[in-house]
Amino acid sequence: MPFSRLDAAAVARTLSQIAEQPEDVVDAFFERREEVEVAPEGDPGSLRVWREEGFAVRLVRDGHTWLASRDAIEPKPFAEALRQVARAFSAATYPEPALEVGPPEPVVAHDLLEFPAALSRAVRAHHVGFPLRVAVRRHRRWVQVVGPRLVATAEQENFFSLTAESTWGRYGALLTQLDAAAAAEVAGAVVALFRTRQSQPPAPVRGTVVLGPAAVAVLLHEAVAHALEADTLAQGGNPEAAVGVAMAAACLDVLDDPAAAPEGVRRTTDDEGAPVVRRWLLRGGIVEQPLADALWARTSPVLLPGAGRRGTRHLPPGPRSSHLEVLAGETAPEDLLAGAEEGLYFAEASRGQLDPLSGEFVLYLPFGQRFRRGGLHEAVGACSLRGRVSDLLTRVVAVGAESRPAGAGWCAKGGQKMPVWATAPALRLEGVEVSP
Amino acid sequence: MSPPAEIKLDEILRALLKRHLTDAEIYVKRGRSRRLERTPVTETSSTSQERAWAVRAGNRRASFFAAATGDPSPAGPWPEPAPGHSLELPEPQAVPGWNEPSDFDTPLIGEREGLKLLESLGRELVSELPDSRLLRAVLEDGSSEAELANSRGVRARTRQRISTLYIEAAGPGRPAVQASLYVAAREPRRFHPTALARRLADRLAVAAAGAAPERDTGEILLAPVVAARLLAGLLPLLVGPGPGSRLTGARGRFGSEKVTLIDNGRLPGGAFEAPVDGEGVPTREVVLVEEGIFHQPLLAWWQEVAAHGQPSGITRRPGWRDLPTPGPTHLFLKPDPRTSVAALLGSVSQGYYLIDVTGAGRFDLPADRFALPVCGFAVAAGRASAPVSGAWLCGGIGAFLRGIAAVGRDLTFHPLDGMIGSPTVLATGLELRAGAE
Repeated sequence: MPFSRLDAAAVARTLSQIAEQPEDVVDAFFERREEVEVAPEGDPGSLRVWREEGFAVRLVRDGHTWLASRDAIEPKPFAEALRQVARAFSAATYPEPALEVGPPEPVVAHDLLEFPAALSRAVRAHHVGFPLRVAVRRHRRWVQVVGPRLVATAEQENFFSLTAESTWGRYGALLTQLDAAAAAEVAGAVVALFRTRQSQPPAPVRGTVVLGPAAVAVLLHEAVAHALEADTLAQGGNPEAAVGVAMAAACLDVLDDPAAAPEGVRRTTDDEGAPVVRRWLLRGGIVEQPLADALWARTSPVLLPGAGRRGTRHLPPGPRSSHLEVLAGETAPEDLLAGAEEGLYFAEASRGQLDPLSGEFVLYLPFGQRFRRGGLHEAVGACSLRGRVSDLLTRVVAVGAESRPAGAGWCAKGGQKMPVWATAPALRLEGVEVSP
Repeated sequence: MSPPAEIKLDEILRALLKRHLTDAEIYVKRGRSRRLERTPVTETSSTSQERAWAVRAGNRRASFFAAATGDPSPAGPWPEPAPGHSLELPEPQAVPGWNEPSDFDTPLIGEREGLKLLESLGRELVSELPDSRLLRAVLEDGSSEAELANSRGVRARTRQRISTLYIEAAGPGRPAVQASLYVAAREPRRFHPTALARRLADRLAVAAAGAAPERDTGEILLAPVVAARLLAGLLPLLVGPGPGSRLTGARGRFGSEKVTLIDNGRLPGGAFEAPVDGEGVPTREVVLVEEGIFHQPLLAWWQEVAAHGQPSGITRRPGWRDLPTPGPTHLFLKPDPRTSVAALLGSVSQGYYLIDVTGAGRFDLPADRFALPVCGFAVAAGRASAPVSGAWLCGGIGAFLRGIAAVGRDLTFHPLDGMIGSPTVLATGLELRAGAE
């Protein structure tokens, strides 16, 4: 852990000098990041290594945030940054706490170098073969947050990202392990893109749709998690007014629980040092607890902190989801398809898009299959599911009984790109609009 | 903070050579920026200082790219290069004379001045369109210095100064329509709140009241931002060897005689104006299309053998984390100084004036077609007759280029893929539809 030798007590004492009012939020955020990538074959600079470390000092007072960040963890820049956020005269001096951090670890890349070959073997196991451009990257991040009165537990995140491009499309995934199961999962997705390459999109239809766990994760991340971020809610009015609103069908329970995320990305505190919360976003379809960080939690007693995340030290934190959990229902997997005469099944969604003001939502689906009387039939090509969030989520009629890790993806908002994770069952929706 | 010159780049190159990495390049960057954000509830002032480097090194068999914060050291630690990929670097070239613009030295915007700019944007917006509101405004202002050296003998120092402004606003009514805009300039004092607020207010007003025609053609006047977005969609045809000639006819014609496309890395006043590119290769003006005739694509030094045309310094390096990649810096459609926008509008007997783009476009270059979501006005006898929104501008890419009947004098640049510039364009042969399909 690079921050084990950081003199957190001295940092805390220094921060306490600029916390003038009881309501002030003051903290120092230290981070180290390392990314190692094996680029697609043929690209120059095939092994790529990024290493960075730095800190940000923040003061929040009366709705105004001052933040100063540096690309080094050293005493003098720290004191300078402190002076900037305190808006003190340049003659003012602050103590320079000892900021010793551990050296970087050696670059390890053998697992990354071996994965493209493992993926090729997994693709061939489907009795197909086609060229794939594979880039695989390891992400490691260490975080330490120090406040004037509290030093949070140091946190660490380890995961992998992958992109696989073929003539028939691009598949991207976040993985916590680079093992045979991961290769099989990615191979299944790229082979599905290959096998549906000539499938026609369905004609515009309003009907029954069954979404697999991975597609549910994208739908609910966009339609529930993003929609219930305090800053998103504030665009339309007062965030606390959302509490108690019936937003979805009564069968839908959605939580955000960073502590239940897959191993490697599990968190006990957020990027503001606050303990994470098992947060019921929707209980029985009703909004219970929007996502909030320290800043938004101060605007209302209804909002709980613990969901503050930072994509980079150079930007202030914001309320964001980390690990979305959709509770399993009572419908057996086979009954999800058998419960309707016919419909469309989508295992994957490539992305979702929500207009926070109008509530218009689009879920992009790279491929799918028609189902009739409980059986899966011919494939369909790329299409999208559209609707207003308020209407779409009330159309969930059945929740699968098996909840499983449902993939993950990058989520970009306000210039900050972050990994998000999910655990979800399959869902059946009725009367929803699908169009090419 | 130490200036980049104090880091001994040659020592690092020598250390890499000792590791049998015969081709090596080191890039060191120092930067500082101020970021001001305003929402109806919060105000944020951030300052950051950046200090980082990047190394590319390799030989015929293997290579690596490493980048990190702090200062580089000859001792590394360097990763083991991965086999199977070679690295090539440019040779030194004479750099034509260039005068550094004086505004590179202007200090970053102050907190109070920046927040006042954002506040005045909100005020101007409300005065243009009562009951509208600013949802988010972000002003970023930064400057940087970089130094680069490679094992072939290239040595270069560059400076950058750039400001960007992102604004999101909501119109009156519920559900409110939303519009956003993103602009860039070399320094923030060039942002004019009244003009920007007017542009947003026009977008919001049109989106709230307008409707889309089911399907219509006619003369279509494209505001600079709309034409620039179309040009940005064509970039795969204009950058790199090969594809550019696909759109040329038998006599090398790429567009109408009104079409002259230029890229210029040292465009005076341009946001990315610099004497050399991200690999230290001299920048210059390259005419890609002249009066409709295709001359050459935009080529990096290593693409010269693969295509007909003169290479130039077009390798971009937005930050220390980024690998150098070819692309335009200031690519623009040459304006006609004799033609005003009012004259162009007056010449439209029946058609549309499209003032903005409302979302991501769809470009299918192999199939020669595009669709771009737009808003604007229907025009009859040179006057706006009704607002248009939710519409898609559709057509063939070749048809768009060949159908450009006139260009205005109001060249404006937009931060898209590099800075892409266009004046107002009078286009024929395109369709406006209620949907993209």
